[in-house]
Amino acid sequence: MYDNEFFVVDMASCSSTGEIINSLSLALETLNHSGKRIVLKLNESYLNQSQLLSIQSLITSYGCTLDTIETINPETAAVAEGMNILVQKPIEKRVEPKEENQENKKGEFEPFSINVENKHDIIALKDVNGLHFEADLDAIQKQQDSINISSDLKQAGIPSRSDFNEIEEHISSQYTKPEEIITKVEEFAKITSPQLNIESSINENENIEDFGNVEKNSIGVYKKAYDETQIEADQWEEVDFYETPTFDPVVSDSKNTTYVNQTLRSGQILESEGNVVIIGDCHPGSEIRAIGDITVWGVLSGIAHAGCKGNINAKVRALKLNAVQLRIGNCYSRRPDGSNIPYIIRSSIFTPEEARVVDGEIMLFKINQN
Amino acid sequence: MAGSVIVITSGKGGVGKTTTSANIGTALAHMGNKVVLIDTDIGLRNLDLLLGLENRIVYTIVDVVEERCKLKQALVKDKKNPNLCLLAAAQTRDKSAVDADQLKDICEKLKKDFDYVLVDCPAGIEQGFQNAVAGANEAIVVTTPEMSAIRDADRIIGLLESKEGVEKYRLLVNRVRPKLEKENAIMGVDDVVEILSCDLIGFVPEDTNIITSTNKGEPVVNDEKSLAGQAYINIAKRIMGEEVPFLDIDTPVGIIEKIKNFFMKKA
Repeated sequence: MYDNEFFVVDMASCSSTGEIINSLSLALETLNHSGKRIVLKLNESYLNQSQLLSIQSLITSYGCTLDTIETINPETAAVAEGMNILVQKPIEKRVEPKEENQENKKGEFEPFSINVENKHDIIALKDVNGLHFEADLDAIQKQQDSINISSDLKQAGIPSRSDFNEIEEHISSQYTKPEEIITKVEEFAKITSPQLNIESSINENENIEDFGNVEKNSIGVYKKAYDETQIEADQWEEVDFYETPTFDPVVSDSKNTTYVNQTLRSGQILESEGNVVIIGDCHPGSEIRAIGDITVWGVLSGIAHAGCKGNINAKVRALKLNAVQLRIGNCYSRRPDGSNIPYIIRSSIFTPEEARVVDGEIMLFKINQN
Repeated sequence: MAGSVIVITSGKGGVGKTTTSANIGTALAHMGNKVVLIDTDIGLRNLDLLLGLENRIVYTIVDVVEERCKLKQALVKDKKNPNLCLLAAAQTRDKSAVDADQLKDICEKLKKDFDYVLVDCPAGIEQGFQNAVAGANEAIVVTTPEMSAIRDADRIIGLLESKEGVEKYRLLVNRVRPKLEKENAIMGVDDVVEILSCDLIGFVPEDTNIITSTNKGEPVVNDEKSLAGQAYINIAKRIMGEEVPFLDIDTPVGIIEKIKNFFMKKA
């Protein structure tokens, strides 16, 4: 039914949006699918427009496009059609590696082997957290015979670090070049004051520059933080306010990414030597400093400093960018006055935005919805 | 001429220290004084929010103490009034990041260039209080007409008396509700002053405008209609040494009264 351009993700067993997002990002993270068209199998679950938008932007952030949604829920179908996404009724036939399941029920891992269905060239990989994701044949055949994935990820769709390690070990043992897949975790993140739980941190092989598909329509300038704020020099002896910090630019070569699965609260600092992905909100008074990029899957209203060792090409993205201050490299900018009501802006409409430095000034760009 | 360092303290939390600091500071600056506000509530800063300067803070008092920036770099100028500056507290640290000598040093430096250095003290009598009081030569003790606040204020006054350097301390009774006072439901300002046997610098009536002004990040003294704003302006005048009569909040201001006043003024 779907050819190699497609990547079919089966979410029929997921009950909540959070679960879908977790499973989906796990699926997209685990294998390299850049440029693929995603087919989402949703079955009965109902998703409203903002939820679908979040899922779509997640997929976009991995360089894929959301092509088709398979659902039997008429409301979801209507929403999807409104967003120009193809809608299809699910087809009953499914590749179920039943025998293997039964054999290995007692074992810790549930292996799946490649079952080639001649017509479709699709293999079903079962399963992480009850989701099947089907990958195309080419990608899998390169990866030798069979792959074991831990089925031990029952809780809430959030993979713990040990689970990740297990998956890594079992995947990488099958590969000829293990460093090409997920390699051993190295922990870079450091969080001060009340300790946060870092769920997992994995090395990312993707080229980070291709991370988002960004349209060039500026929706507002973050003004510079230092124009009217400080005391004028003539009132004082000569002092350069905000003298530009001198850095030896450090670009995050290793491109390691830290995942933090919790809300950052006031007073908490998250520091990382690579990129940071936060699944949760960043409240006012919190601070994120990363040598690489910062991505917040939620509302960003604290201070974010991307490229904090001088990388001016670093980016800050968030589902809702309401940061008190944005800092990229040695550029500082602040939120415009009057929007100083972080607790009131709480609508369900999210506009994913990305902040970049353009001609020495930090600009916000809308992340392309198509 | 060296300016004076005034610490605004209370012991108890939530009586309005920060609101008082922001409003007195703004009022003093409006009257042409050069004012700097120091937030010493490290880890639980709020003064920046009340002044609407939250988005402008880059360096904080901890950066100054740890010599990551110069003192003058850390001063944030107010949006409207160039005479008013804020030295913000760090949000990501705690009170132990600064010690009393360091704060005293900062106050000494600022005193040379500013007429008034207002220090917003954190609640409690621990390190934060000791830091805030260190450089002060004057104190304003904020209290409300409640037994718990009065007891804490009494303790604070005792500590201030034993502190060298603090030459005088005066009492500010906040959130006065004349209506309840009349019904003898709560203590009156006079009762509070009598219990604490301390000079009164002024009282501030309860005002719902305070809440909206806090959320907007604009001190209530900018609002001419607000009674609390008026009270704060009077207090600022008293700090400058002017003799201002205490606010008369007993007069009932109904519609008829207002119409009467209107015609009286015209005539």
